[in-house]
Amino acid sequence: MHKRPWSPGAISAVSRFVLRQWRHSRLAYSVEEHHCSACTMAPKYKLTYFNTRGLGEPIRYMLAYGDIDYEDIRISFEEWPKLKADSPYGLMPFIEINGKVINQSTSICRYFAKQLDLAGKDEFEALQIDATADTIADLRHTIGDYWWRSEEKDKPKKREILVNETIPKYLSRFEKQVQDNNGYFVNGKLSYADLYLAANVEYLSAVMKSNILDGYPNLKALVEKVDNIPKIKAWINKRPQSYY
Amino acid sequence: MASKPKLTYLNMRGFAEPIRYLLAYANIEYEDRRINPVDFPQEKLSLPYGQVPVLEINGKMINQSNAITRFVASLCGLTGSDDFEAFQIHAMADTIMDLRNFFGDSFWRPIEQDEEHVQARKEEHLRNDIIPFYLSRFEKTVKENNGYFVNGKLSYADVMFAALELHFSNCLEEDITSSYPVLKELVEKVNTIPRIKEWIDNRPITEF
Repeated sequence: MHKRPWSPGAISAVSRFVLRQWRHSRLAYSVEEHHCSACTMAPKYKLTYFNTRGLGEPIRYMLAYGDIDYEDIRISFEEWPKLKADSPYGLMPFIEINGKVINQSTSICRYFAKQLDLAGKDEFEALQIDATADTIADLRHTIGDYWWRSEEKDKPKKREILVNETIPKYLSRFEKQVQDNNGYFVNGKLSYADLYLAANVEYLSAVMKSNILDGYPNLKALVEKVDNIPKIKAWINKRPQSYY
Repeated sequence: MASKPKLTYLNMRGFAEPIRYLLAYANIEYEDRRINPVDFPQEKLSLPYGQVPVLEINGKMINQSNAITRFVASLCGLTGSDDFEAFQIHAMADTIMDLRNFFGDSFWRPIEQDEEHVQARKEEHLRNDIIPFYLSRFEKTVKENNGYFVNGKLSYADVMFAALELHFSNCLEEDITSSYPVLKELVEKVNTIPRIKEWIDNRPITEF
């Protein structure tokens, strides 16, 4: 298991790594995942995102869980401006399915979740799962605003608000929800909302430079449970390394 | 007998209007609870994540306008005929939500005194860059799909856009579809669906 980048003493090494990524242009590369040795057909899904976990990781968790073949295309920050103009709404991640290119990471997760019985047994259960995933996305978006979309001079104050108010507000409610639902977000069983949180934690912790789940034992236990699902564990152990 | 669902939001159309359109379309009776913005700081303490809209249904209080919209749409058959079509509709609806969130950021965030110039810049960016970026793509999509957002038939993405259009136009103080005839026609089409027209004719009149 790779060393978590925010451990004491690791930050400067990681900063150098991040700087290298920014300064050196990298060619796009794709990592093809073939789980079937007899299969010679190209995967029918092509996922495109940066070489980071970020917004793409929840989708990659879903695909790993479902043992679904896909092309995991990772493009560099330098390549993106050129590709952006031709993409559906100038946003990543996007996925190519049956010749159509579609963005919106949470909807992509939900599409696969439905096929894998992780989107609830009826519409009302689906609503509760969706609401949970969307709320996790809200938290991620707010953290993203602080890190990627703020001016440097505003960051210290925004970080303080995040650490003291916003993150506790969300995580304490998530903690209670998981506690009230036998260790999962909704109705005591695994859903894509659980995978969604697990897939986001390392990225959010990298941005905040500390393990955001410290102090939330039920959430930690849930993430541990998800990360130890064999197919997901296998993905975590072989996925490309990235800081975010 | 189960009590009827309760939708809680501010006293405006705003981000809850797509849900109200869909509840009208589905002919579902509900309590349309509206909070005076002045009372909101106190009211939010009792809400799941301190946010509105919230739908109270089957004894649970659920937030997230996207999820609520999707749920109500599923009750009235506007989420596509299979999972792949549903996915395309959801992605489209999420993109409309992205545009809506720019409005939220530009007009509905509390701002500090020294941030006014930042807000003015955001509004300009929204008007000059973001609206044309999204609406030109929406115009193309609806044109290519026989007058609807997905696969040539009504879905909740169409209803959502129509329900938000007036709010967007209110915020910018101009008709945002004036240069987009295909979108204008779509909004007109949705707004004249009988149950939706009836809602529009009878809903509380609010500035936003």
